[in-house]
Amino acid sequence: MSTAIPPTRRRRSAAPDEPRLSTNPIHAPDEDAPPAPPPLLWLDPLLTLTTLALAACSLVVLNGATRDDIPGQPHYYVERQGAYFLVGLGLMVLLARMDYTRLRELKYGLYTLLIGAVLLVLAAGHATRGSTRAISLPFFSFQASELGKVLLVCVLSAIVVDRRRRLSERETTARVMLLALIPAALVIVQPDLGSGMVYVVIALATLYIAGTGWRHFAALLTLGAVSLTLVLVAAPAVGVTVLKPYQVDRLTAFLNPSENPSKQGYQQIQSKIAVGAGQKTGRGKQATQTKLNFLPEHHTDFIFAVVGEQYGFVGAALILSLYALLIWRSLRILTMAKNLFGALVAGGVVAMLMFQVFVNVGMTVGIMPITGVTLPLLSYGGSSVLTTLLAIGLLQSVYAQARIASTLKHRVLRF
Amino acid sequence: MPTTERRVGQLFAVFLVLLAVAGVRTAYLAAVKGGSLRQRAASQQTTAVTVPAQRGSIVDRHGTQLAVSEPADDIAANPRLIVDPVAAARRLAPLLHQGADAIAVKLAARGSGFVYLARQVPADMAERIRRLNIAGLQFTSVDKRDYPRGSLAAQVLGTVGIDGSGLSGLEYADDRVLRGHSGTRRVTSDALGHPIAVADASQAEPGHGLELSIDATIQSRAEAVLASVGRTYGPKAATAIVMDPRSGEILALANWPPVNANHVARASIAARQDHAVGFDYEPGSTFKAFTVAGALQEGLVTPSTLFDLPPEIQVADRTISDAESRPDETLSTARILAQSSNVGAIRIGLRLGRSHFDSWVHRFGFGRPTGVDLPGEERGQVLPLDRYSGSSMGNLPIGQGNSVTPMQMATAYAAVANGGILRAPHLVRAVDGHGTREPTGRRVLTPPVAAELRQMLKGVFSPGGTASEVSIPGYQLAGKTGTANKIDPVTHTYSSSRYVASFVGFAPARRPRLLCAVMVDEPQGAIYGGVVAAPAFGQIMSFALPYLRVPPA
Repeated sequence: MSTAIPPTRRRRSAAPDEPRLSTNPIHAPDEDAPPAPPPLLWLDPLLTLTTLALAACSLVVLNGATRDDIPGQPHYYVERQGAYFLVGLGLMVLLARMDYTRLRELKYGLYTLLIGAVLLVLAAGHATRGSTRAISLPFFSFQASELGKVLLVCVLSAIVVDRRRRLSERETTARVMLLALIPAALVIVQPDLGSGMVYVVIALATLYIAGTGWRHFAALLTLGAVSLTLVLVAAPAVGVTVLKPYQVDRLTAFLNPSENPSKQGYQQIQSKIAVGAGQKTGRGKQATQTKLNFLPEHHTDFIFAVVGEQYGFVGAALILSLYALLIWRSLRILTMAKNLFGALVAGGVVAMLMFQVFVNVGMTVGIMPITGVTLPLLSYGGSSVLTTLLAIGLLQSVYAQARIASTLKHRVLRF
Repeated sequence: MPTTERRVGQLFAVFLVLLAVAGVRTAYLAAVKGGSLRQRAASQQTTAVTVPAQRGSIVDRHGTQLAVSEPADDIAANPRLIVDPVAAARRLAPLLHQGADAIAVKLAARGSGFVYLARQVPADMAERIRRLNIAGLQFTSVDKRDYPRGSLAAQVLGTVGIDGSGLSGLEYADDRVLRGHSGTRRVTSDALGHPIAVADASQAEPGHGLELSIDATIQSRAEAVLASVGRTYGPKAATAIVMDPRSGEILALANWPPVNANHVARASIAARQDHAVGFDYEPGSTFKAFTVAGALQEGLVTPSTLFDLPPEIQVADRTISDAESRPDETLSTARILAQSSNVGAIRIGLRLGRSHFDSWVHRFGFGRPTGVDLPGEERGQVLPLDRYSGSSMGNLPIGQGNSVTPMQMATAYAAVANGGILRAPHLVRAVDGHGTREPTGRRVLTPPVAAELRQMLKGVFSPGGTASEVSIPGYQLAGKTGTANKIDPVTHTYSSSRYVASFVGFAPARRPRLLCAVMVDEPQGAIYGGVVAAPAFGQIMSFALPYLRVPPA
């Protein structure tokens, strides 16, 4: 269990005449030569292309959807989203060039950063006597819980790697879950239910990829069901409210939106109307659900409904295909990772992306509750975009390190 | 490591299944339910709005505006869309002229999606409110009725309901003409209710304007005279009708107590009523003219026929005397009318006979509506011939036992004044400038008989007549006083304290140009028609005759 190198990696002789993908011919494989420096830009092409394609879709969709949102500034959101992408892609490239393995040593620092940022937001919220999820910076307000996702992926992976020989112990599972539940509880209080759920999913995925036994998951499931019952049924009965009423509303509204007069029921109905009104090929400029503001949060949480209305099922299917490609490629990188830490980091990132994509699309089409989870790369928002691109940067780093490792060992990764 | 490999595969498989579920659901919404959802989008974004037709205006015979319509807005709110009720209320309060607290309470009622804040707000004020840009307000254009002259002819004009339909008076009677046809407009609104685009589906057709025969100046004078009667005698109600007897056109129709047409809801029910058509009373002596007219027309009496009249007369079980006791006297038909002798009128009635008397009652139009173009006209109560008792001819000829409306009385006197033609009175002279058809009349008296009657009615103003104190220099007046006991509602017998004082007359007596009927219900302090009603007649006529440039005669 010393490494997570998958068996797909085949040993091959390094014939100089054989073309090798992305391998710098100057640094021909030579056992005696000093380790070659990493290539300047060693990105996974398919992952990069998919990321760029989704970013382009985001800009195109936002351009159509937010034209009338701020009078006199038709490009307000597009310009900002474009800037977030530029910064985010820069960070992705930086992270890709870095050896992610170093993050393993920083786990306590990263975890302190995570808890500190979340507490800071909570304190700021208390100071203004309202709820807040963000720390206001001069240029944009930063959502600590978003960045926390990436930090948590690294921290939990590092913890699991440390205890990789004691995976079957209950203590390992308990520790990982506890480390995730503390920040999850803190962001749910903010209140940001969506991010809290993502944290738990990341923890579960990390354990799952690492190979934790099924019995542990069964126990966690039972524990989860019991505590959920306590929170939703028993606690209100004795007068303790853990979830705010609107959060409970959100979680149950999707079951019967037309009978639920709350804001959530309304949003869900409007979202479904938008997707349906787009029909097969979309309404283009006639996308009135979006234009007339019937569709709430159409640039952030409900952007998939905008895609549905403007470009129809064809557009929605294209976006879903891009996500399938993104996830597939990410899982592929997971299997290439040079060590367990890399595999777990990739696993955490992939789980985060999967969960967000399904929950967001699901709430848009009315099969999941509204939890305020953004659609990675498509939704407008600096925190979401930067976090997602940092996460993809981690994947790129895992890929790059895997390639470097294989090059140094005269092996070629099967692409 | 095989475990990881397998688990990655499982993870991807689960994700693909979930993504497929989402994709199938998207396809279901877009392809299967797409049509109905697109319709739902359209129906929540566009609404058909009724554009009210501008209601036709009502003007008097000289074009003075009596009732006009102006565009206004009903302002409502959807409390669920109001972000900050208190702040919104504070901004709205000065413009709506309501307390900020009261508005805030309405705006905070989130249980409802609709609450009226103010109705019929003038369009310019509504525009200022619209410019406040408060999300969640709704504006519905409506038609606001305004009566520039306030209480002038208010009971005649009537009222328009908040939904724009006429409820009473001419507004009700001519509602079809006045209201026009409303149009429809398709309005596309955003989620906060702000209209984005507007398209007319059908144009509104404005209503037609009415021109009345009313003369606002005479109307105003008649109301002023009634007001002074009201102040002096404190009656329950009073009404005055000024009519051109030649055409049946009504020049003024005044009612007391007055009511401001712009604030009708604040007035009592009694004040809102048009007593000229809605009040029936036993007319008393004014009716004697028709007893005499019948006998005259049938050649049973002449103006100079003499009657030996005892102080009282016995008819079946009833004994009737004159209002003021007098010795045995011999009076001519003319003097009987002038002095309003009950005994004399009964003698003439008896000479006419019950069936002939009954036919004359009907011939003069009593017992059925006059046909005036006002709603809610009473028909009065006329005792059918087969229900006459032995004593009926002891009170019917002097105006007791049958009830009439002031309008019926004015109409019947107009027939005397115009040479014998009974014609439905009317108020609407023209619709949109096109004259209305003058009602055709029916001859009830020959011109010579009518002339004789007019001559006799002059006697009322002569010394010894019941209205001898009333005169208008230069004009010969003719008319008849009436003082009638009302039936006590409790005892069902004639009350000794409740009277209706009335006067009907016209001028100039020879060729009448103007007729005026005044009815005062339950005057206090004085009860006689000659004292209460005749002076009011005199005041109205002394203004109206010169005003209409009627040459003195």
